[in-house]
Amino acid sequence: MIVRDAVFLALRAITAHRLRSFLTLAGIAVGIAAVILLTSIGEGIHRYMLGEFSQFGTHVIGIAPGKVKVGGGPPSGLPTSVRPLTIDDAMALERVPNVIGSVPTSWGNAEVAFGGRTRRTTVYGVSSAATHVFNMKVRVGQFLPPEEPSQARALVVLGTTLKRELFGAENALGAKVRIGGLQFRVIGVLEPKGQFIGIDLDDTAFIPAARALELFNRDGLTEIHLSYQEGAAVGPVVEAARNLLSARHGREDFTITTQEEMLRTLSNILDILTMAVAALGSISLLVGSVGIVTIMTIAVAERTNEVGLMVALGSERRTILGLFLGEAVVLAVLGGLMGLAIGLGLAQLLRLFVPALPVETPVLYAVLAVAVSALIGLAAGVTPALRASRLDPVEALRAE
Amino acid sequence: MRTRDVFASAFGAAAGNPLRTLLLVLAMAIGVAAVVVLTALGDGARRYVMREFTQLGSNLVIVLPGRTATGGVNPASAITSTPRDLTVEDARAVARAPSALRVAPVVVGTSEMSVGGRLRDTLVVGSTAEFLDIRRFTLAQGRFLPVEDWDRGSPVMVIGARLRADLFGAEPPLGQFVRIGERRFRVVGVLAASGSGLGMNTDELAIIPVALAQQLFNTNNLFRILVEARGRAAIEAAKRQVTSILKERHGGEEDVTVITQDAVLATFDRLLGTLTLGVAGIAAISLAVAGILVMNVMLVSVTQRRAEIGLMKALGGSGGTIRLLFLVEAALLSLAGALVGFSLGHVGAWVIRYLYPTLPAYPPDWAVLAALGTALVTGVLFGVMPARRAAALDPVLALARR
Amino acid sequence: MTAPQIELNGIERVFRLGDSVVHALADIDLAIYAGEYLSVMGPSGSGKSTLLNVLGLLDSPTAGTYHLEGRDITTLSPAEQARVRSRRIGFVFQSFHLVPRLTAAENIALPMMLAGIPAAERAPQVEKALADFGLTDRARHKPDELSGGQRQRVAIARATVMQPAMLLADEPTGNLDRATGEEVIRLLEDLHDGGVTLIMVTHDQALGDRAHRRIYMEDGAIRRDSGRGAGRLPAPAPATPGGAADREP
Repeated sequence: MIVRDAVFLALRAITAHRLRSFLTLAGIAVGIAAVILLTSIGEGIHRYMLGEFSQFGTHVIGIAPGKVKVGGGPPSGLPTSVRPLTIDDAMALERVPNVIGSVPTSWGNAEVAFGGRTRRTTVYGVSSAATHVFNMKVRVGQFLPPEEPSQARALVVLGTTLKRELFGAENALGAKVRIGGLQFRVIGVLEPKGQFIGIDLDDTAFIPAARALELFNRDGLTEIHLSYQEGAAVGPVVEAARNLLSARHGREDFTITTQEEMLRTLSNILDILTMAVAALGSISLLVGSVGIVTIMTIAVAERTNEVGLMVALGSERRTILGLFLGEAVVLAVLGGLMGLAIGLGLAQLLRLFVPALPVETPVLYAVLAVAVSALIGLAAGVTPALRASRLDPVEALRAE
Repeated sequence: MRTRDVFASAFGAAAGNPLRTLLLVLAMAIGVAAVVVLTALGDGARRYVMREFTQLGSNLVIVLPGRTATGGVNPASAITSTPRDLTVEDARAVARAPSALRVAPVVVGTSEMSVGGRLRDTLVVGSTAEFLDIRRFTLAQGRFLPVEDWDRGSPVMVIGARLRADLFGAEPPLGQFVRIGERRFRVVGVLAASGSGLGMNTDELAIIPVALAQQLFNTNNLFRILVEARGRAAIEAAKRQVTSILKERHGGEEDVTVITQDAVLATFDRLLGTLTLGVAGIAAISLAVAGILVMNVMLVSVTQRRAEIGLMKALGGSGGTIRLLFLVEAALLSLAGALVGFSLGHVGAWVIRYLYPTLPAYPPDWAVLAALGTALVTGVLFGVMPARRAAALDPVLALARR
Repeated sequence: MTAPQIELNGIERVFRLGDSVVHALADIDLAIYAGEYLSVMGPSGSGKSTLLNVLGLLDSPTAGTYHLEGRDITTLSPAEQARVRSRRIGFVFQSFHLVPRLTAAENIALPMMLAGIPAAERAPQVEKALADFGLTDRARHKPDELSGGQRQRVAIARATVMQPAMLLADEPTGNLDRATGEEVIRLLEDLHDGGVTLIMVTHDQALGDRAHRRIYMEDGAIRRDSGRGAGRLPAPAPATPGGAADREP
């Protein structure tokens, strides 16, 4: 039988019982709509998160002291008794090929005071290359100048929130603030960066790393950040850094994490979550497919004599199987399309009314939705269709 | 019509088409089972987390160094440090608070330890004798850190069960020496094996006196101060007292964060509870789909039983009776599906408990009732239209042969 | 002397009903020549319907051989048998068996659709069939919009649209009133005049007597076979009870 005729017959069968067919495909539609909506939200969150993380500048490698086997994963900044990472280490790493900047980093919580006002905030000890690594831009003045770390002057660059809290609308440049009892001169204010998962990135102060070590009374850096040439392969850079630092320390007592790895891990976690959520939505699809099985079983029972007729007219069993199966698939696909439309519509509505919730529907999901619907139709329709194709024509013709 | 006959009729109708009935029941059952299993999972997770937290010691007030201007705990700076250290002296001062029963200073870091030839990176905790009681630890062997001056500390160590296995294998660990950095510590105790605990899995810990830990990590700063309040009623008071003591000691600056474990617990409880609800809600969408199927099949049923309905009307049955019959049928089907789903769901929850014995995966009562109720209501709701159709059939037309 | 179109040799059809065994057809030998007009009569349970089903390849004999146009079709694969049914055999049923959701034209086209004939090729043939059977203005109607007689005409058009070698009719007038039945029979006989072999199962004596060859069955066996008739009987007198049509010539 020509496919066009088969589709024609399937559509005739479906439209012969409009309400029944509609209800059947509605069952699939609900399931698909739920899955599309949920995965759209998941995808939206995924892209949002990745976007947020990449504001820290791509092409960054982080090096932390200690190799913690416990639990694995990047070190959490706990103190360690192994040989600390020093500012000299950071300077040495600048020599690694393709490395644009090496930022020794040490951060902590401290009170910044000016003119009677104080604000407790996060203080980062960094170097001049930090603007690359953390993707920061200076609005007023300049960032920390590149100078010998051991001779780093007590200068500070403020984030916009901190500046506003301490200085209001006044000019901050040149002012002297006290951080943890030590005096620093303000040489710059940063462009606002906004929030990152609820954390105010502008409530910060940046001082030279050496001064930070002094301030927090530490021996070693919390981390060293390397930013490397865009387009360069990350593998060799990691290797070179590892070798250099191993030579300096005598052994590999540090952990190197690339931003790529972190993003990939995050990406994987989010993907798993999205899939879990899609699986939840699929429960409805399962029930929807039971619906197709039920209706097709009823259809076969109703059209038993028709099956006998078809055999008498010269139809092969295969054709009968195909006709009923085709009906199930067409029903399911129509339901899938309707569900897709509903799901997309709801997703867009959500975007409108809840702008805070990121929602994205990739084309792939839409295509998958339709493909899955077709598969459901096949799986659900196969048993009734097989039964139909195996009917004895003589008995079938006798059925009313 | 008499109730018993109504039910008999409904049963008969369902039994007349066993495959169809089975499929309908299956559809409902899937939905209900899904809700039951998922809420069991979610509630199990919630109870597990709660249990683990309460195992950490109840009536806990926790002090963290550092504070953000907003007052809350900044999750990005879980490890905080400030210009002014949180010291062991601070901890001693806090111990004098009237509402405090016990106090333990805590230092945490990573280090490499060696036994014989074996090297191992380990999480090392520095604390005092009080740590055992506050954290409700149990010892498998030996004893805990001795009660001694917090500023000194004998070179002794208590290790977790897994660490013991890794470092000593089958050999008895007590009395053996472990080297960390420049120092040797004598193992005096082994902690009982824990299930995977939240916060800190004790199996891989090594606990040494706080003074020595501070030397090891070269810091005066504490990671936390744990305070056990005198009783549940004393928690808030303890929190206030601790905060004011530390503020005074730190030159009027409130540069620490004091939280109660209850608050943390409550947050988790709410979070997991909401999650469970959300998950169950999504699963419950399938009940709506099942309802659609009920409506669909019943409509077909009405068409197929036209002659029967016409006959009933001809014999004096009212529209109301016919409607009732079909509604009861829908209700019975939904109920049967709900019950089957309920059983399946419980089996599913049992399987989860079998596979993960530490997870108390029991479907909460509210969820079960909600699922059963929703199934029933959905079924009846979706049965209304077919029932009305049946009741509205013209008996003459219905009886006429097509 | 040409070979018979249809040859049944030693055909048996045995059913098992629980413990008992039913011989619906017992050792049937039958030769039918192309263009014959045959009626098969007998009481209910005589096996006449089963014989028709075997002839129409709807049912397989338990034993014996069936040669159609020289071919042994008992041994054909199901797919090949389907082809034979499609192109060589036409069925007309008592209850018409029209597909209720297809129009008259689409019902007629159904065998061609099943044979994989594209729409462009089908259209002229369907048009011709509609015209031949006086259904042109009913082409777009569904079966529930047609009278009994029209329905049977559609069924016959469907049965003949692939120009089969034989027409098998099972009580074709059973669901029709007398007058309409007459029309239908005349239609079938006209088709027979066109050269197609017509085999009709009926319990109506008057109907059966119109055939040139009459077979009488009982208990699964052929009891009487009037033999190959030559030419056509004269048109029967208008229906009167006990009229000329009731008597054997």
